[in-house]
Amino acid sequence: MSMQTERATAVSAMRWKKITTFVRNNASIVLIFGMILVLGIAATIVTEKFQNPSNLINIFRQSIVIGLIAIGQSAVILTGGADMSVAMVARIVALIVATIFAANNSSSALIVPLLLLGIAIGAVLGGFNGLLITRTHANPFIITFGVANILRGVNLAIATTPIRGIPPEFLKIYDSKIGIVPVNVLVMILVWVLAWLLTTRSRPGRAIFAVGGSERVARLSGIRVNRAMVLAYIFSGMCAALAGLFLLSRSGVGDPSAAEGMDFQSMVAVALGGISLYGGKGSMIGTLGGVLLLAILSNVFNLTQVNIYYQQLFLGMIVLIAVAVYKTPRSA
Amino acid sequence: MNSDILKPSAVAARISTFRPSQRLIHGVDLAGKWSAPIADVIILILAAIIAPVFYNPTNLKTVAIQFAVLGIVAAGQTLVLLVRSIDLSVSAVLALGAVIVVQTTGGNSIGLAIVEAFAIAAFIGLANGFLVSKRLVPPFIASYGMLVFVQGARLAYTKGQASGTVPELLRAISIGQVGFLPAALVIWLIVNAALIVVLRYTSLGRWIYAVGGNPSGARYAGVKVDAMVIGAHIACSMLAMFGGLVLSGYIGYVDLKLGTDYNLNSIAASIVGGTTFTGGRGNLFGTAAGVALLVLLLNLVVVLGLPIHWQFAMQGLVLVFATALQGFRQFLLSR
Repeated sequence: MSMQTERATAVSAMRWKKITTFVRNNASIVLIFGMILVLGIAATIVTEKFQNPSNLINIFRQSIVIGLIAIGQSAVILTGGADMSVAMVARIVALIVATIFAANNSSSALIVPLLLLGIAIGAVLGGFNGLLITRTHANPFIITFGVANILRGVNLAIATTPIRGIPPEFLKIYDSKIGIVPVNVLVMILVWVLAWLLTTRSRPGRAIFAVGGSERVARLSGIRVNRAMVLAYIFSGMCAALAGLFLLSRSGVGDPSAAEGMDFQSMVAVALGGISLYGGKGSMIGTLGGVLLLAILSNVFNLTQVNIYYQQLFLGMIVLIAVAVYKTPRSA
Repeated sequence: MNSDILKPSAVAARISTFRPSQRLIHGVDLAGKWSAPIADVIILILAAIIAPVFYNPTNLKTVAIQFAVLGIVAAGQTLVLLVRSIDLSVSAVLALGAVIVVQTTGGNSIGLAIVEAFAIAAFIGLANGFLVSKRLVPPFIASYGMLVFVQGARLAYTKGQASGTVPELLRAISIGQVGFLPAALVIWLIVNAALIVVLRYTSLGRWIYAVGGNPSGARYAGVKVDAMVIGAHIACSMLAMFGGLVLSGYIGYVDLKLGTDYNLNSIAASIVGGTTFTGGRGNLFGTAAGVALLVLLLNLVVVLGLPIHWQFAMQGLVLVFATALQGFRQFLLSR
């Protein structure tokens, strides 16, 4: 009798230990999805509209653009860098594609070439960022901030008023479905899986983690540091370009104020998802959680009609609390 | 490749074989220190040729006041950069100051409002410094979060409306004249002289350089590293507040978009003037030259009648160029 209870307690202790180790090893991911759960429950209490299926689908749809940008941003932050040019890359892609459509009588034959062109522009700009950073050893955050400002000027030179003349077929991309799955959700999932495979299963992906952990050690171990970093920035640029194309398809006009503020929002999503802002630690799963959390938050704000300025106040507060609470140990 | 283990020779081949010559290191170091003053002189000469309007007394006074405001803010930014941190919340603090002073003077005395403004600025700097030094938050994230927060608080309070008239005292300290100089320029001169004395001739100043140059070394030498970082942040926020008061005196009313450029400009001015991101290198003379460079370039865009988006491109170019140059310089010097 007593032996049985002893064994039972031993088994339950072991099980408990397993759970605690899992939680400790994945603390940030458990935390973020726990927060989403708590926020979701709180939201259903505050407003009934929240749990409408159409509203829940809306949350997913609204997080597509920022989600794509955040996935790219994650790869860059894992190297220990940052890409502050993503919002302006998304905008310039949207504006260039819109301009070409408008100049060609919104011909729908151009859709596929222009989609490819847009992604190529993103790749080139990302590669430019990456080369700039690896060749000059400049501070990634500030130099991409500067690139963003140059692009902001160029964007204003392209257009100061919304560009019309996007073919209706292009606008349908955003709302189209394959079976019951919306195409945009599908693309997002594909990009996410690609990013996940890239970071966990591929040689350059592991190199990204190594570079983020310690660039010096990675270099001395014979890892191609520069190649991994440039690759991360190219990936980020391409994700941003894709986000810009979706923005264009969603809004229907080449909006000169598209993607404003998404550079910082993507960093917040990544940070909330538990990727260390010093690089080298974290996972793409966390990023997904961070994006969802932000989307739910803004959805709740909109449903309860909180003033936009208070939204900004809350966003800032959440970021400050989150970064203050997360421990980012750095043994220098 | 079928093996994950590389031969030592292959590893050696992948490790950079870049061996910079002494001449290159020296040249890049000089360029990092002197590019801003040299560019200033070139632009001043160029302006005389292509845009003589630049030398109008009214335009010169505008340039001087803009120079003074950015100079005060950038001096604070330089202090923060010297201790290996960065402050992206200066623009929010700057705009906040104007709101506080303009909106609370109804009934209160202006003295009280100014004390209040500086107290709030000091608190914001304290929070930034705390996050950076005690919680090890990357400085740009901490201060950018602070930017969003402070901006949100200000806009929630004002509802985004431009309002109020600026008190006479602020008008006086920015557009008033002291002798033949604008008052703002005199204030800039006093602030900078005080900071230069502190940085060069006091142990406090040497500690700041020590913290930036080698934080762990400074810690072992008994310097209170965290206190230096927090102190630099407090000083930076208070200087940004001061800059904001001078700026609102110059503009005359409080605008929704007041001061949004000052983050980027103050960083660009410090960096192009020879301060590096890795701390411990740079001084306020360089920063002054960097401030002059930015203000001159931005003013030239206006004087030449170019579209205003050239200002964005110009700021971005200066920032990219300067960051790349200083990054490379630091890389060479630290080898």
